[in-house]
Amino acid sequence: MQLFDWTRRGFIAVLGAAALSGLAPALQAQTPPGVLIVGQIAEPKALDPAAVTAVNDFRILMNVYDGLVRYKSGTLEVEPALATSWTISEDGTEYTFKLREGVTFHDGSALTADVVKFNFDRMLQDDHPYHDTGPFPLSFFFSSIDATEVVDPLTVKFTLSAPYAPFLSNLAYPTGLIVSQAAVEKFGADFGRNPSGTGPFKFAEWRSNEAVVVERNPDYWDGAPSLEAVVFRPITDANTRTAEMLAGGIDLMVEVPPVALSQFQGDAFSVVEQAGPHVWFLILNAKEGPFANKLVRQAANYAVNKGALVNDVLEGTAEVAAGPTPPAFAWAYNDALEPYPYDPEKARALLAEAGEEDLSLTFYVTEGGSGMLDPVAMGTAIQADLEAVGFDVKIETYEWNTFLGNVNPGLEGKADMAEMAWMTNDPDTLPFLALRTEAWPDKGGFNSGYYSNPEVDTLLEEARVATDQAERAALYKKMQVIVQEDAPWVFVANWKQNAVTSDKVEHFALEPSFFLLLKDVVKN
Amino acid sequence: MRLFAGLLARNRLALVGAVVLAAVAVLALLVPVLPVRAPNVTDTAARYLRPLSEGHLLGTDHLGRDLLSRLLWGTRLSLAVGFAAAVIAAVIGAALGIVAGYFGGRTDNLIMRGVDMLMAFPYILLALAIVAALGPGLLNALIAVAAVNVPFFARNIRGITVGIANREFVDAARLAGMGHWRIIWSEILPNVVPVIVIAMSTTIGWMILETAGLSFLGLGSQPPQADLGSMLGEARAALITAPHTSVVPGVMILIIVMSINLLGDGVRDALDPRLRSGALSRPMAATRVARDTVPEPQGDGILTLQALETQFHVGGRVYRAVNKVSLSVHPGECLGIIGESGSGKSVTALSVMGLVASPPGVITGGAARYRGDDLIGAPYETLRSLRGDRIAYIFQDPLATLHPLYRVGDQLAEAIRVHHPLGRAEAWARAVALLHSVRIPNPESRAKAYPHEMSGGMRQRVGIAMALANDPDVIIADEPTTALDVTVQAQILSLLDELRRARGLAIIFITHDFGVVAQLCDRVAVMYAGRIVEEGPTGVLLESPAHPYTRRLIDCVPELGAGRRRLAAIPGLPPAVDQLPPGCAFAPRCGRKQPACEAGEIGLEGSGARRVRCLYPEVEEP
Amino acid sequence: MGAYILRRLISAIPVLLGITVIVFAIMEMIPGDPATAILGSYATPENVEKLNRELGLDKPAVQRYFIWLGNMLTGDFGQSYALNRPVLDEVLERFGATLILAGVAFVLCSGLGVLAGVVSAARQYGPADRAITFVVLLGISIPSFFLGMMMILLFAVKLRWLPVSGMYAIYGGGDLQDLLRHLVMPASALAVVATGVIARLSRGAMLEVLRQDFIRTARAKGVPERRVIQGHALRAAMVGIIPVLGIQAGFVLSGAVYIEMVFQWPGVGRMLVDAILKRDILLVQGGVVFVAACYVLFNIVVDVAQSLLDPRIKT
Repeated sequence: MQLFDWTRRGFIAVLGAAALSGLAPALQAQTPPGVLIVGQIAEPKALDPAAVTAVNDFRILMNVYDGLVRYKSGTLEVEPALATSWTISEDGTEYTFKLREGVTFHDGSALTADVVKFNFDRMLQDDHPYHDTGPFPLSFFFSSIDATEVVDPLTVKFTLSAPYAPFLSNLAYPTGLIVSQAAVEKFGADFGRNPSGTGPFKFAEWRSNEAVVVERNPDYWDGAPSLEAVVFRPITDANTRTAEMLAGGIDLMVEVPPVALSQFQGDAFSVVEQAGPHVWFLILNAKEGPFANKLVRQAANYAVNKGALVNDVLEGTAEVAAGPTPPAFAWAYNDALEPYPYDPEKARALLAEAGEEDLSLTFYVTEGGSGMLDPVAMGTAIQADLEAVGFDVKIETYEWNTFLGNVNPGLEGKADMAEMAWMTNDPDTLPFLALRTEAWPDKGGFNSGYYSNPEVDTLLEEARVATDQAERAALYKKMQVIVQEDAPWVFVANWKQNAVTSDKVEHFALEPSFFLLLKDVVKN
Repeated sequence: MRLFAGLLARNRLALVGAVVLAAVAVLALLVPVLPVRAPNVTDTAARYLRPLSEGHLLGTDHLGRDLLSRLLWGTRLSLAVGFAAAVIAAVIGAALGIVAGYFGGRTDNLIMRGVDMLMAFPYILLALAIVAALGPGLLNALIAVAAVNVPFFARNIRGITVGIANREFVDAARLAGMGHWRIIWSEILPNVVPVIVIAMSTTIGWMILETAGLSFLGLGSQPPQADLGSMLGEARAALITAPHTSVVPGVMILIIVMSINLLGDGVRDALDPRLRSGALSRPMAATRVARDTVPEPQGDGILTLQALETQFHVGGRVYRAVNKVSLSVHPGECLGIIGESGSGKSVTALSVMGLVASPPGVITGGAARYRGDDLIGAPYETLRSLRGDRIAYIFQDPLATLHPLYRVGDQLAEAIRVHHPLGRAEAWARAVALLHSVRIPNPESRAKAYPHEMSGGMRQRVGIAMALANDPDVIIADEPTTALDVTVQAQILSLLDELRRARGLAIIFITHDFGVVAQLCDRVAVMYAGRIVEEGPTGVLLESPAHPYTRRLIDCVPELGAGRRRLAAIPGLPPAVDQLPPGCAFAPRCGRKQPACEAGEIGLEGSGARRVRCLYPEVEEP
Repeated sequence: MGAYILRRLISAIPVLLGITVIVFAIMEMIPGDPATAILGSYATPENVEKLNRELGLDKPAVQRYFIWLGNMLTGDFGQSYALNRPVLDEVLERFGATLILAGVAFVLCSGLGVLAGVVSAARQYGPADRAITFVVLLGISIPSFFLGMMMILLFAVKLRWLPVSGMYAIYGGGDLQDLLRHLVMPASALAVVATGVIARLSRGAMLEVLRQDFIRTARAKGVPERRVIQGHALRAAMVGIIPVLGIQAGFVLSGAVYIEMVFQWPGVGRMLVDAILKRDILLVQGGVVFVAACYVLFNIVVDVAQSLLDPRIKT
């Protein structure tokens, strides 16, 4: 019958179109050896190290640029990079760096003290002719710099307004990476899309929303990398990233969702892990409500089953946190500190002792955000744990920026508890910004739970100006004991960053700094 | 209401939908007392258990919570949210749509521009604005989802309302002095309700799904509580590793949406007055034929009907619309068929070429022979090649029977081209000539007009021109002049008469107007309740009708001759053709009724051309 | 007709102006600002204030609105904070990608939807009708991200027939065939829901039309059944179907967000969500206005198509 023919013809046409477009030539364009494809979590904002803030962007930048100093592989300790050596004045306010000789940027210009001065002046001086290539959101990392001076073509001196112990560590942070003055002058505000550094890879191409391609720098001062090129592909959806990895569309994937790890157990993949300076905690409102009572705060620490969170919810991609300082800062971490054990009985006993009548809590949970891991699932599990010992917890979830907009100004009058996570490069940063009395939100800090202990304040101030690392370490260790006892937070987890590589990739390792260094990686 | 329920129950699929939905709703209502695990108790060590695990029928989710329990609790929440949001969106949207569509003009413009604005807006942004203004929570998610769907309803309903607001019954209500709001309430609303219902049934599913999207913004049910959408959202992370956590709420959504849709279709069918009549379905290309025996060829007419039987099967009932009708027409002859509405005269005519809507129509017996070949049960292609070529129809109400979107010239040309391999230009020229032949002035430009641009008389001429397009042997004219005024009617009749004489056409002319019959027809057959009750030459039959029914019919016409004559009502109603009494169908209304009339089958008796189906005819020897 | 189009275009102006006001107001209203989004954990009030000043966000809202509107009228949509490039460049590039995806999906869903509806109506209550009805209901109740992911797992990961994501291959692609290979899955996943809706409504419209008298007339003329269905009935049914297509085009466009995320399609829907989450004010505003303008334009096209199709509509 005609109608039937007609329908059948329609189907044949549709199938034909499908075959023509996709199914017929099933040869997937294979990536050549020597080219590494990295699955990133987002499109980078810019490739100007002074202008970006996201770990995601740092992963590209660390391979294109060098700083004066860098972290020694596998640690968070500083070693020479573009500077071969440095001296610090007695009072800790003058840092003088000797630059490496014969280093050139990818655009051919030479690395000189003038270029270094240009870099910091561009960021810090509002009247600098290239200050408008910003904004430079993390320039406050270097706000302690009073002046940058060129001593001779290969010597540069920073004068700080006050002693500032984390200065060297901050120089190793991506914000301190050195860019080509010539390139900034040439491209102006477009430098972020036409970057030029001294690193092991040269920028080649940026196809918006598709890929950033970098190529081997054969003249790299620290030995040319073995890879021919690296392609950074932004794949925002975690499931899609996993599927791309499984299908061979990418060779290396970072931030593997915990639930997906089981997919990569075979020989075709290897999973790499590395603990980093990350801490995931709950801010407790110590100003009002039940958590104003220290016993209740401790009870919460006992009540939350952190082992179940890191091993089950996070599938072992994190470790239980003991205090405010992550173990990755090995020199500053207090090994003697034991995490609060999971002990609901003890929690109930403490609650009884505290005698709080009203244990109802409002708990701010975010949908996701930098370093927040799996916040909804974790928040829900925590809620269940707290309910089990007698709290009455009401969750309110917010998208990340709304969440920050609610939490950063302080929890007073709104909530009793909020999730939070920090990734830092120095043991000073987090406690200094989030535990001091001077860091209450109304004073411009992140102490949203209004914790206040004069002893902690003093310890932190001292540690910041001390130039001797051993002295600093002692102060931090003392601080950790006090803070753990005071329990301004529920200390939950320290994240172990992970990545998956295909079996074609060799010599890949993750760094505690959360950076992705690809110089030594080989792809067959 | 009982009728509604009955109709609903008759639609088996809708019933299935209703039962499933009711079952889901009952389960959801009963969750608090059902022996399921607590939905929010976590056991992270036992996470991602597969369905049918011990103690967890549907497995567990990422925190080791029992999926069955969460599913039931989630369904409860989702049903509430979905229905509430759908109702809110439907009420607000429909109100806006009706007001805009009914009042039109500036009001319409204002409302629709607002709706456009809302529609052109990314809903995720609207949702964010709502969280910002109201904070997170399920109730606010409900508001967001409803707000997003308002424009959809508003647009749909406005379209329907515009159509209705210009219809005759609304004009009538307006003339009767009814207020705007009463018209909206009593005339417009009942007509848009089916549309609202079906639109709601399609949107509830989306609404449940949309909460999954909103949970991504922190909008929606707050953990640990979860509706189905949030369950999906939470399960998304484990889509690859533990797809069952997505599949479980997904299947429940599917079940709900499916049952709502099935039920929605049923409700729509039950609410729609046209569908209520049982004509639920679209007619096939040719009427279904289911007859046991084929009568032997008989008679010498160009078109002969032999004991033709056509029935309508609706539900379990059988309507005998045409009951053993035999007729014959010769070239150049005009046969009139006359009878009240529902007497089966039109169905008889349509049965010839298999044009009775089927379902529900079925030809169950008899034959219709054109030049001796049986048309009933002929292959579709044979039938098609004769339709419009050898046997052509002229229908009543040409505004409805001409295609509203084609130019009349094209419609005429098409009638020619489907039977003769003619070029476009040639066919067009023929069409113009045809228009000319039915005396349409200025046919060249008229051919380019659309039916709605012509007057009723003109359109009817187009209908006649179309019937003449291929110079047919037989024309079956089904009340072609009923809708026309007297002068136009007279012109058309004389046109037909002239054509028949000039071309030797056989015409079957169906009417309920004796005036027309007298003017045009050589012979007349009178139909009642699907049967021919009397037939004979026009003059004789009009002069001395034999059947009491014919008598009554003619009595209703005070004076024969020119002019407009309508059948006046005869006391009582024709019988329903699904419950025909034994014996004479007219007996209950007949003044001459005797017991024998209702005893059994009465034959169509008589001699020559004159026959009557009556035991006690008005005239002794007709 | 020309005057009608002009009138419609003029009436679109207040709609677009209204949209600029609403989108601006919403971006003002939602908590968080670009500085907080950029600074993340380091968003101290001091840092936020400094950055906002550098971004030019310290002026009063009304003033900023008019500056923005004025700039936009001269074709300057401003610079995206989060992407560090002109808003218009980004929007145009992304919109192109969405147009390809949504356009193909729209063609698929209107074609298949109408086809399914017509077949379903022509074969009412037959096996084809029942199968189509079932598939259609299945289609409109599956979350598109779920369907998309399952397609990826089957066709890309298991069978390796098609690429997982993206618009072009990273190596050796870039031609039309490459684009089509990348389009197959996202376009079909996106089309599914709309296909279902269109099929249902087309079936209804066709059934309605098939009962009309003019269909009987066509049959009585001897028009072949195929032409009765595809010509006479479909043409009349299209009058009812086209506005639905117009509405569905909107849904396809907004539904593209999830598909763009799952398939990593560099489209405007995903861009808007990213921009909203990053409080990239100018990108959100520019993007919304652009998308809205296209949507309004498309609706005018639908109305014009409708009036061309149906001579009874007065223009």
